[in-house]
Amino acid sequence: MKLRRTGAFAALSLFLLAAGCGGGGGGENGAQNNASSGSGASAPPAGNETVKLTVASWNSDQNFVDMWKDVQDALNKVYPGIELDYQPVKSTEYNTALNTALRTNSAADIIQLRPYGAGQAIADAGYLEPIDGLQGLDGFKPDQLAAAQGSDGKQYGVPIMLSSTQLFYNKDIFDKYGLKAPATWDELIAAAETLKKNKVTPFAFGSKEGWVLSLTHGAIAPVFLGADFPGKFAKGEAKVDSPEFVKSIEALKSLTPYFPNNFEGLGMDDIRTMFATGQAAMVFDGSFEIAAIQALNPDIHIGIAPVPSPSGGQPSVSAWVDGSYAINKSSKQIDAAKKVLQFMTTKEFGTIVLQKAKSISPVAGAASDDELVSELAKLSGGNASPYFAVTNLGYGDPTSKVTLENSLQGMFLGKLTPDQVAKEVQKSVDTWFKAAGK
Amino acid sequence: MEQTQHDRPRRRWLTSGDRLIHLFPVPAVAVYTLFVVYPIFAAFTYSLFDWKGLVMGRFNFFGNFRTLFTQEPFNRMFRNAFSHNLFYFAVELVVQNVVAFVLAYIIFRKVKGAQFFKIAYFLPRLLSIIIVGFMWKLILNPNMGVLNVLLNKIGLSSWTHAWLGEPATALPAVALVNCWFGIGFFMLILLAGLQSISPEVLEAARLDGSRGLGYIVSVILPMMFQPLVIVAVMTFLQAFEAFELVFAMQGSLGEPYYSTDLLAVFFYRTAFGSNAGDTGNLGVGSAVAVVMFFIIATISGLFMAFVNRRQAE
Amino acid sequence: MLTTAVKRSGIYVVAVGYAVIALFPMLLMIVSSFRPNVDILTKPLSLPKKWSAVSYETLFVKLHYASYIKNSVFVSAVMLALLLLFSVMASYYISRFPYKWNNGLFFYFLIGMMLPIKLGLVPLFLLVKQLHLMNSLWSITLIQLASSIPLAVLILTGFFRTLPNELEEAARIDGAGHMGMLLKVLAPLMKPAIGTVTIIHFIGVWNDFFFPMIFIQDEAKKTITVGMLKLFSEFTTDWSVLFAGLTLSSLPMILLFFFASRQFMDGITAGAVK
Repeated sequence: MKLRRTGAFAALSLFLLAAGCGGGGGGENGAQNNASSGSGASAPPAGNETVKLTVASWNSDQNFVDMWKDVQDALNKVYPGIELDYQPVKSTEYNTALNTALRTNSAADIIQLRPYGAGQAIADAGYLEPIDGLQGLDGFKPDQLAAAQGSDGKQYGVPIMLSSTQLFYNKDIFDKYGLKAPATWDELIAAAETLKKNKVTPFAFGSKEGWVLSLTHGAIAPVFLGADFPGKFAKGEAKVDSPEFVKSIEALKSLTPYFPNNFEGLGMDDIRTMFATGQAAMVFDGSFEIAAIQALNPDIHIGIAPVPSPSGGQPSVSAWVDGSYAINKSSKQIDAAKKVLQFMTTKEFGTIVLQKAKSISPVAGAASDDELVSELAKLSGGNASPYFAVTNLGYGDPTSKVTLENSLQGMFLGKLTPDQVAKEVQKSVDTWFKAAGK
Repeated sequence: MEQTQHDRPRRRWLTSGDRLIHLFPVPAVAVYTLFVVYPIFAAFTYSLFDWKGLVMGRFNFFGNFRTLFTQEPFNRMFRNAFSHNLFYFAVELVVQNVVAFVLAYIIFRKVKGAQFFKIAYFLPRLLSIIIVGFMWKLILNPNMGVLNVLLNKIGLSSWTHAWLGEPATALPAVALVNCWFGIGFFMLILLAGLQSISPEVLEAARLDGSRGLGYIVSVILPMMFQPLVIVAVMTFLQAFEAFELVFAMQGSLGEPYYSTDLLAVFFYRTAFGSNAGDTGNLGVGSAVAVVMFFIIATISGLFMAFVNRRQAE
Repeated sequence: MLTTAVKRSGIYVVAVGYAVIALFPMLLMIVSSFRPNVDILTKPLSLPKKWSAVSYETLFVKLHYASYIKNSVFVSAVMLALLLLFSVMASYYISRFPYKWNNGLFFYFLIGMMLPIKLGLVPLFLLVKQLHLMNSLWSITLIQLASSIPLAVLILTGFFRTLPNELEEAARIDGAGHMGMLLKVLAPLMKPAIGTVTIIHFIGVWNDFFFPMIFIQDEAKKTITVGMLKLFSEFTTDWSVLFAGLTLSSLPMILLFFFASRQFMDGITAGAVK
């Protein structure tokens, strides 16, 4: 049997190699690919070495990639000669990728930290460089700084953006059916009924991805829990299986008739598409989704409303520090990285975050000309509730937050009652919980 | 060849005495030992220690195994994942191999265009399994996936499902996608087996008036013992090492509600941390690997013993 | 007569029916990649009115697609070259020399067929870290090489045993050394077996995803399968681009297959049936 295959293989390999060389970008020679061709990195002044820093993040949407190009330019006005290589990973893969990279000393120089428990675990494992005393840190509020501290009380990260969850609604659809932003829980349900009658899916929602469930629950829970619940929980005076928490879970479940068909199979991508294309009129969602929704449909008119209370109490927007940037202890460029983190505390940086990422910046004085973002900032700057699952449940192995997510998934699949969900989570909390001050 | 005589001057570099021949297997043995044999046996030792991150802690005899089998949620996850592997194996064994056999038999019976069919059936096997996973995830999307759109089009809206979002359908869907991927390969193996049956035997049976299903069961299958065993063993190994498809379609948590969790996914999540902010636990992870190894080794061993006994008879 | 006709058409219905099931998803993937995203999301089933390659442009501009391919080619080529060299040398030794430990050696390689390498992942991880091969293409090349050796040795040893002994005798008289013997005399006869080994392991190494995912974090060193992960995280709602990425990453293998479909199909089952 004669084989002409080897020839074919060689020819194809050559062809592919030729194609590969045409595309530019480093291969085995270790040259860094610049993710953004022509990122406009200003050339350093002569006699100055360029320092390259890699930045790891879970914000992989295009608007964040664009934002970092602006950060690069603005940074070089203050610190020429620092080149940032932004390397985002899908949010749902980020922690695993980061764990792996940290363990092998191959992590980026600058690392985005999850807030509270998850970030703390990384700090406590000794992977991060403390940054106490960094110029500009005093501009943040103590509760914002707390999101990026280790158990040792040291500061490890600079808070970079605040996220909030609230109700988004499609203004055009609401106008069409004569609806307005709901002021009470009953109005919310009535609006959902009206939409359903008119064959519009009331809520874009899906339970395929666990984190979407804790996000949605986090948006509506505060109006059932009351503002003092997280504090009471931390002191050990309230538990996750207490009646008010069960009620918050029941409230989430009671929206089921207004969810899309086959919502069990929908993830955040589908939710985003449904809301952006007008297939669904409302969504409980994070502020970080706005840019992606607008990218899908630039003509959409998004209305923002706090989640209304069932008892006529304060409506709620949950806000939290959704990430901070820290320095990898094994980085060879700690000084340069500190300069970058220092830049992250400035108004210039905060403004870029607002303008480009459409996210609220914790930096005081950062301003945006975008109506929507300003409105968000106003809402979450008011009396925002903490995002309980993130601030208080990110501990344990697996974390209680994941237990909550999985149990909620189980509930929507008819396997658990709201009461059992609460019990499951409490069981997980019991494995690590120590009441504050005891 | 024991005593070769070398009385001629040599011109090649590797000729100074025959002893150098012993260097020939060295590279293969070295690489294989270092990167395959050593890691698997090292996993045994790792499972007997506590770990903090990547640092080996104190010796903890069977502590990790105890955690795995008695502590929530590990024990539940393990049982759950193991039962899913069994289910996965059963689906592969029945659906994949029956379809593969039917197709192989059709081609064996000289259908027109046999070469085309062979190529068509085999094509899916060329894709990377991770790509297969991503592709089917799009096809099975409840809103815009082709499958549900198709069902709506032909008026079967009531049949549409959130295929990958409901526990009842998620694991079967993933298992069937794996069948789609593997059928062509197993069809080829079974076809090779069919073609190696001696024509005289088949002819004799035909003359005896044996036909149809009876003919297949009583004449063909007994002659196919060897390839059938190979197929069964391969199916088993595939089902118990399965990882990529679930990872691509359902993530490392085997969503929804752990309904598509498999042992390898559980192992990966435990050793390397999931997205839940836990940093993973190498000790318990290694314990999962060791248990998996024993399951795979025991069952393959039993298989082999059974085959040897049969062949001895 | 009629019944045979019915039976015949029944057989064709089955044969064609499964061909449609096997091919349709792949066709869908290729066709969708040439459609604008809006079309896919609103009318998934219609044929494209206008073929557009815009998604492919997006891929080349936004992803390091060329570098992914280059890395995959590098890993596959180096791995296959070393695999053939090492396994031919080992098989030659095992099958052509009567040393008493050769059976043991053969068996030692054979158990590798039963060892699921994934289960050694944790120690492997630490080993790669100690060798400073993290984030290097050599890590996945060597791991792939090691896990491919057992099957390659099995196939090649089986084949070597079928070659007559007189070959070497003749060569010896000419004063050829072992290397000369292998390269000049035996290698030309080995073509079919070498082809088989190449094909089986090329499919395996090109398509592998697990090890690159664990060992390669650096964007510039990602292989095509891991590059897909990035694609799926960045273009979640642009199905057109997703399908284009899937198509492009499957293309090299499919093209090769059409060059040598028979060798592929004979080759890939050789390990199982022999």
